[in-house]
Amino acid sequence: MDNKKIDVLIIGAGPAGVAAGIGARKEGAERVVVLERDWDLGGILQQCIHPGFGLRTFKEELTGPEYMHRFIQQAHEAGVEFHTNTMVFQIDKETNTVWTMNKERGIEALNPGAIVLTMGCRERPLGAIRIPGGRPSGIYTAGTAQRFVNMEGYMPGKKAVILGSGDIGLIMARRMIWEGAEVEGVYEVMSWPGGLRRNIAQCLDDYGIPFHLRTTVTKIHGQDRLEGVTVAKVDEHMTPIKGTERFVECDTLLLAIGLIPENELSRMAGVEIHKVTGGPVVNDLLQTTNPAIFAAGNVVIVYDLVDNVSDEGLIAGASAAKFAAGKISADAKRIPVRGGENVRLFSPQFVTGETDTTIFMRVTHPIEQACKVFAEPGLYSQRLRYARPGEMNEVKIKAEQIKAAGDLKEIVIDIQPV
Amino acid sequence: MNYDVVIIGSGITGASIARELSKYKLSIAVIDKASELPAGASRANSSMIHGGFDDKPGTMKAKFCVPGNKLWHKLKSELDVHLNECGSYVCAFNDDEVKHLELLLAQGKTNGSPGVEIISGDKLREKEPNVSGEIVAALWSPEAGIINNFEAVNAMIESAELNGAKLFLETQATGLLLDNGKVRGITTNKGDFLAPVVINAGGVHSGEIAAWAGDTSFKIIPTKGEYFLLDRTTQGFIHSFLFACPSKAGKGITVLQTAEGNLMSGPTATEQDDPEDRTTTPEGLAEVLKGARKLVPNFPVNMNITTFAGVRANTESGDFEISALKSPRGFVNVAGIKSPGFTSSPAIAEYVAELLKEELSDVITLTPNDKFIPERKNIPRFLYLDMDARKKLAENDPAYAQIVCRCETVTEGQVLEAIRRGARTVTAVKMMTRAGTGRCQGGFCCPRVAEILSRELGIPLDEVTRHGGESKLLVGKTKEFLLKKGEAH
Amino acid sequence: MSEERKFICVSCPLGCGLSVTLDDAGEVVKVEGNTCPRGASYAKSEVKDPRRVFASTVRVKGGKLPVCPIRSKTPAPKGKLFEIAEAVAKLEVEAPLKIGQVLIHEVCGTDVDIVASRDLAAV
Repeated sequence: MDNKKIDVLIIGAGPAGVAAGIGARKEGAERVVVLERDWDLGGILQQCIHPGFGLRTFKEELTGPEYMHRFIQQAHEAGVEFHTNTMVFQIDKETNTVWTMNKERGIEALNPGAIVLTMGCRERPLGAIRIPGGRPSGIYTAGTAQRFVNMEGYMPGKKAVILGSGDIGLIMARRMIWEGAEVEGVYEVMSWPGGLRRNIAQCLDDYGIPFHLRTTVTKIHGQDRLEGVTVAKVDEHMTPIKGTERFVECDTLLLAIGLIPENELSRMAGVEIHKVTGGPVVNDLLQTTNPAIFAAGNVVIVYDLVDNVSDEGLIAGASAAKFAAGKISADAKRIPVRGGENVRLFSPQFVTGETDTTIFMRVTHPIEQACKVFAEPGLYSQRLRYARPGEMNEVKIKAEQIKAAGDLKEIVIDIQPV
Repeated sequence: MNYDVVIIGSGITGASIARELSKYKLSIAVIDKASELPAGASRANSSMIHGGFDDKPGTMKAKFCVPGNKLWHKLKSELDVHLNECGSYVCAFNDDEVKHLELLLAQGKTNGSPGVEIISGDKLREKEPNVSGEIVAALWSPEAGIINNFEAVNAMIESAELNGAKLFLETQATGLLLDNGKVRGITTNKGDFLAPVVINAGGVHSGEIAAWAGDTSFKIIPTKGEYFLLDRTTQGFIHSFLFACPSKAGKGITVLQTAEGNLMSGPTATEQDDPEDRTTTPEGLAEVLKGARKLVPNFPVNMNITTFAGVRANTESGDFEISALKSPRGFVNVAGIKSPGFTSSPAIAEYVAELLKEELSDVITLTPNDKFIPERKNIPRFLYLDMDARKKLAENDPAYAQIVCRCETVTEGQVLEAIRRGARTVTAVKMMTRAGTGRCQGGFCCPRVAEILSRELGIPLDEVTRHGGESKLLVGKTKEFLLKKGEAH
Repeated sequence: MSEERKFICVSCPLGCGLSVTLDDAGEVVKVEGNTCPRGASYAKSEVKDPRRVFASTVRVKGGKLPVCPIRSKTPAPKGKLFEIAEAVAKLEVEAPLKIGQVLIHEVCGTDVDIVASRDLAAV
């Protein structure tokens, strides 16, 4: 790679990374480089071929590839430099040296002015939930199955059971149906769905696919290819209830049991990882605990909407450009954000007041009545018709409010019934 | 197909025997019904190289364990396999158990297990801060270690192959060919393998195979062991191998750090009829967790990446069953090899060579093979190389500048090399390169490994299997699948 | 006699629960539960002519990928989705493809075009 100084180096050309590139260039960074390990730009959205993306940004619902097409065009116009087939496999925390590999260029070390982590997230695997039984083929995370179907053109199976009701699982249920497979049902261990209600309507209800709450897979049958699963209802401690077991014949089990931010590189780079979000601890500039390293998108916290991911990418890119230009002071304010009683997770964890900010959060328990989302002391309050764990909520705080608030010790966010 | 020796089973026992016999001018065939190595008990076990204090003096186990341990410390560099020479502790929680430690100490000394000693609970906690505060003493065995069992079996077989032995996978023995009280060979699903010597290293099936020779003197009791395997970020939580004090039920649940740095715990010991039932169970996993927490109260089970079970070949006598039968001549049992079987296997292999020389000289002659090459090189492990070595690899072969498995940093170059060395399934690649052994358990790399297998073997993607047989990953191409279904209606 | 029907609006991620009142002639007289006008029009369409965007892939010869994502440019009649799926399955196109390129005009006798939803280069 050309060894001219890189001002902002962005790792991953998914929606967060492409937006970060645009954000950095718009902020005036001279050389902005985005590295992508795949042959193509766009990340996971290239396999998300269903519509449902970008309504907020573009006022119309696009498919994943269409959404990325627009952003990639913008990035090219903004002068962002992309390198595909290039994987970052190590970041040295002492020097912030980024080690890359590419088949043509071999192994190279880069020393940029600032780094933006935009590696996205990965799916929770089967091992995370420890289902007893055999270890046959035919068990895939929904995203892996999606790649097989949408990118490779192969069917993972003929008759599927879907465990977990995350959106990718719901989307894959319909996708399998449209390719001629059967979907026996979707099973969710919780009392509420993991994904959006509209996806239950348009992916399951439309095709008569049964949706079972408080039910899980308790055994995997088969040694070579999956032959079936045992499903059972669970009690309030999520323990299977004896006597409710049922054998379901299937050759495929798709898992949609959650997403985890992908932070191997962040850890190598000495970035503090939040225990609950699984992503870097960041401030409102999306700066991590390593001051030269910024992070945005699902690598930080798993979002519902790609629009949010792109927005955060723009902010992180702009912040990184400012840092590279020496425009971010090291002794900025660092007001901690604390989640109240019904807050499961949130990001960012600190506010500097240098910029307007949105704090993204999820509730622990659903509130199926009028409620309000708020930030104390008196920074934000908004009425909601309901609050659900599967749907992210936002707290918006203006920079001038922070300035006006004087010596704030902490900001407390929560959602409570009204 | 004519050979001097046919070995049934390519677990660590069969593999070690194959390598040992390849030190002689012999034509050797090793057959296994599996599609990749290791299968059976050699794949799913504690991967322990035991110190040798646990076996009753006078038993076959005691005879082979300490010499086997010594051989592994040498084979580590010869075969280029990971052996974490970390030592082991047997932990005592009360005075009765301390008395038992003293017994083990005496036994260890009789068996020649070097350096065994009893240390205080506090001294143990200096080395292993995460163990239970209730442990009062521990038996330390410095020579114990933990091996990468996937690598070790493949290394052993590759070394045998390098020296002329032939491996036949997906080849299942179906019967014994006899001629006037002498072994003539075996029948298999892939045809007959003729040889005057047949070695039964059939693991959990070794009892059935012995019965073909009319030997019903021992019975195999398939015994399941279940395990938890945790994310490699747990590295350092425990540095060595921890046993609870053994009881009548066996060595009990252990906690260890694998040769690659994963925290692991197991096994249970559940007797069962079916030698092929390797399913995990809620009861078994609960028992493992309970045992793990006894030794390591904060055992971070939330970092679990997979659970698995292996079935080991227990015998009623509790000892190995190794002998050359008087009749039919040429039939050798190396059966009932369970813990400390992995440790003992190289020593057992040497003993088998002696058996052939001393007891079967009328049917086989062992002439030293002066061309024997002891060294075998592993597939380069990108993860463990320094940056200069990585750069060099990538310069020489661009495939080493492409990551296939993110969790374990396995490159395409390694996958290609595994295929060159015989990998034909996704699991085979996993066993040989560790691609898919990490925290995403193949979620990311399985499709990529399958694509590489498809391309390199020249087979359609939907013919690629997870582990042979009916374990195909895919069921056809999307559009063809839909149209075919439309026609059917 | 009026009739009430319930839907979940799929127009945006909010997924509002809609309650639709029909008169004797089956005409929509009231929509409740919607947060925005899109909900009202969705409810009306859902009663008279339910439609969904169809998204799948089409086989490609000589492309960087063996299949290319496609979509119905506009929502297609819900009752025709499987017919459309088959029509798309039968098609094989040659790379390169441009995003928005019409691959099937007025698929299965509807007023809906099937278009490529990404650029796909030839190898």
